[in-house]
Amino acid sequence: MSLALERELLEIISAWHRDRTELSDEAFDDLALRILSYQLETNEPYARYCAALGVTPRRLAPSWTAIPPVPAGAYKEATLATFDVAAAELTFETSGTTRGTGGRHYMLRPALYDAALLAGFDRFMLPDEAQLRYFNLVPDPRERSQSSLGYMMARVSEARGDSRSGWYLRGEELLVADFFSDLAEATSAAAPVCIAATAFALLHVLDEAHERGLRFQLPAGSRIMETGGFKGRTRVVSREELYARACPTFGIAERAIIAEYGMTELTSQWYDAEDNGGDRRLKAAPTWLRARAIGPDGAAFPGGVVGALAHVDLANLWSCLAVQTEDLGACFGRRIVLLGRDTGAALRGCSLDAESLQAR
Amino acid sequence: MQSHSKRADIARGIADAAARWCDADFPPRVRAQARIAQRTRYSLPVVEYALDQLFGAMTYDAILTTIEREVGAKPVAPVGRVAIISSRTTIGVAIIPAIFAICADCEVVVKDREDELVASFFETLAEELGGPSSGPSTPALRAYARDDKRVCARDDKRVCARDDKRVDARDDNSGAFAAQIWDGGARDLSAFDCVVAFGGDDALAAIRSQLKPDARFIAYGPKASIGYVTREALRDERAAARIAAGAAHDLVLYDGEGCLSLHTLFVEKGAVVPVARFTALLAGAVERANVEFPLGERDAGAIARVAALRDLAQFRGAVFNSDAQARFLIEPGSPDRPPAFAPRALAVHDVDEPEEMRAYAERHALPLEACAVAGERRDVAAAAIAAGANRISAFGEMQHPSLTYAHGGRPRFAEFVRFISEDE
Repeated sequence: MSLALERELLEIISAWHRDRTELSDEAFDDLALRILSYQLETNEPYARYCAALGVTPRRLAPSWTAIPPVPAGAYKEATLATFDVAAAELTFETSGTTRGTGGRHYMLRPALYDAALLAGFDRFMLPDEAQLRYFNLVPDPRERSQSSLGYMMARVSEARGDSRSGWYLRGEELLVADFFSDLAEATSAAAPVCIAATAFALLHVLDEAHERGLRFQLPAGSRIMETGGFKGRTRVVSREELYARACPTFGIAERAIIAEYGMTELTSQWYDAEDNGGDRRLKAAPTWLRARAIGPDGAAFPGGVVGALAHVDLANLWSCLAVQTEDLGACFGRRIVLLGRDTGAALRGCSLDAESLQAR
Repeated sequence: MQSHSKRADIARGIADAAARWCDADFPPRVRAQARIAQRTRYSLPVVEYALDQLFGAMTYDAILTTIEREVGAKPVAPVGRVAIISSRTTIGVAIIPAIFAICADCEVVVKDREDELVASFFETLAEELGGPSSGPSTPALRAYARDDKRVCARDDKRVCARDDKRVDARDDNSGAFAAQIWDGGARDLSAFDCVVAFGGDDALAAIRSQLKPDARFIAYGPKASIGYVTREALRDERAAARIAAGAAHDLVLYDGEGCLSLHTLFVEKGAVVPVARFTALLAGAVERANVEFPLGERDAGAIARVAALRDLAQFRGAVFNSDAQARFLIEPGSPDRPPAFAPRALAVHDVDEPEEMRAYAERHALPLEACAVAGERRDVAAAAIAAGANRISAFGEMQHPSLTYAHGGRPRFAEFVRFISEDE
């Protein structure tokens, strides 16, 4: 069953990638329920959770919107996989977890992950099919093989890069001198670049550039993929401020900065929508990924109402197709506005919180 | 050196000002509490409770008792210029160190919050201390309401707006204090002899780095509080219900954001009232406490966090108590999991002995402030103190500390004086 589902999904991804073929609501619903059925048979912890909520193989959810989303935190508490994880060819670990008890997302084969990430990246980051030089301010997979972000950028760099892509994060250290030097070289060579960075790393680089009095005029076609926000960091700036600083520093227009939103527990990613009607927060996803904004009682909010985002990612074949997050957002048709989590302020109250406990 | 009578005069003025602020209809308080509710997003009953506790504790006797206990008759002199920096989620915490620094005759600058609680209280204090009843030893007072609209009170009890330069200019050698809005970045902290700061680890480290080498740094970093219920205390349903009501009170106030909020609870097994029954009583008590102290206008993120914890408890197959709107969560604890630190969410650990509480605090590196204890066993208090707690209280009293309580394990008054030794 899993082989057939995997093949079907790969065909859907390929058709969307190649021809922009969209899944109809009925087709999405049908496939989602068949994947759910497969996962209820093969993923015991998820099946138990669904059963507690009244969803069983004999009493499936009536539609994809009623599929119980597993709390993202459950990946830290149980092995959520539809196969024997000893056979997993890909394993990603969640970050920012409590005291080394990180969550794992296992995948039997990389085919689905690779196909999904390249299709999404091509559509939203490379609509012009540009070949770029990738400057990766994300974990280097040679150093941290279990970083999904690092894996993603390695695949993109290999498949879409100019063979001179670089990695500028070693452990927790950003290799800013190398980064600036290589960036200057790319600029001289008129090689357009893509800087892939977490918001926190980008801010750090901007601070360093400012400190050193550096400014670049990146070659035409250059762009930035910003991801990851400031989760767990005490220094936070608004997205507007971050972009307002990045544009003059790198000599690019704001539209050349695209935010990606993904998580280790998912296989597919959201990106800034191409035609956003002026709202930079609007995000779009490949046709096999949809979301709902959920209230505290678990019911979906109508469009435009802010709730916790629950994703249904059909490409999450090997674990749980529906994942509940604590990220706040609202749905507008097939798109979402991501509001993120409350990051708080640097000077907090006298109470401890989870993040400051982790930092100790 | 400061005379005892002068100190008593100041304490009297502070107590009189605080008494006015205890009046729920006192107009500055009414205005301030609305602004505080807006800033903190706590419900009004929670803010009212906080102000009652804050000002109700500041009695003349409590102030002088605290000073007496800490310095006795020893000769002391003020430490110098004191800066006090409060934090985002607190309500008036800067006022307590401020009044003791004022009692020590220090010059005090307070970083106020947007609600201007400190400035408003200082206006009342200026009126009290500037009045003829406080006698000729009353210091000249300067209370800054805002950056450019400052209010000062002099010995003639006159209250007037003055510009910065005139207020800043010193025309006598008497004590002065000031409360002003301060953005936290621009002020030169190296000019202060003592800095009191409430905040997170990074914020405190940043503040510390700005001080002159010999400045006193009084840091109130993030803390957590826990509770322990002995099997002896759970001797019958009635006693258990009373403890549960107290624990619920400690839990719901300030939505777990206070260092004295109940963050984790340990309940001994083998009692007449079993842990499961006590947990059910606690859940009922939390629901009732939610009525008395309703959840404020919390952001959707806080609610989503509790909902996620509830869903995770469901995923674990745990027996938990919550409601559809995720306004609270009581769930079984695990030694592996740190406290959730989410609004009105509490893990209840069933344990055999207090050592398990100590081990838990150590395992998760919990910096403890207080431990509520039900029962009178010495081993529980000993374990709590070994775990790092600075205060042992009864359930229901955790959020109701007396003025003499050594917050953060530190003295209240002695931090703001130098002890003087005269060779015999």
